Amino acid sequence: MKVKVKRWHTVAIWQWDMEDSTDLCGICHGPFDSCCPDCRIPGDNCPLLWGKCTHCFHLHCINKWIETNDSEGTCPMDRQIFEAAT
Amino acid sequence: MAKPMFARRLSKELNDLAMNPPAGIDIIDANDFKVWRLGLAGAPGTLYEGEKFQLEFNFGPNYPLESPQVLFVGDNVPIHPHIYSNGHICLDVLYNHWSPVQTVASICLSLQSMLSSCTSKERPPDNAAYIKTARANPKHTTWAFHDDTV
Repeated sequence: MKVKVKRWHTVAIWQWDMEDSTDLCGICHGPFDSCCPDCRIPGDNCPLLWGKCTHCFHLHCINKWIETNDSEGTCPMDRQIFEAAT
Repeated sequence: MAKPMFARRLSKELNDLAMNPPAGIDIIDANDFKVWRLGLAGAPGTLYEGEKFQLEFNFGPNYPLESPQVLFVGDNVPIHPHIYSNGHICLDVLYNHWSPVQTVASICLSLQSMLSSCTSKERPPDNAAYIKTARANPKHTTWAFHDDTV
């Protein structure tokens, strides 16, 4: 029997490749899989950033915190100097 | 324009507070994202057992990147070595040790634990001088944090 496929629909979901991508960003309280409050579309344009301390935030959220004077460059979770993991 | 960060976060926090209020904490008034009033009950077995206090939170548009203004209001300001009679609270996490992962609930719990560990009900030694010169917003005070035992 020969089958000819005329057309198909595909559906995909995506999520960040991490332990629990449904966790929330500690700064905005939005899920990691959704974007930061200033972005509209989740994905590569609103990435996550891990610190060497292993704490993770939306890149845009942690940047906004680090830019404040009060942060003194520290991780919001452990108050040690925040250095991006490479 | 998407809902800004402070409004999103505060609506989530309000929801959480209403659904799972921490023991001794209740919402008195939270009709907008600017000023909230919460009730704080003195914990059983502490010097403040049976007392009821009111906290006022003022949020700016940069919350949670900037700390809210937090003070005790109403007739009963707790008598505590770190709480001035004008309601101002000497607690580092409200000022220079603020972190955006703190929440209204976590601040309430910090305050409750500060009250619970108190061993003698008294005002700060410089209360009289402080309340004469302090501005309305406690964030404008230059705080010196020296005693973390009470």
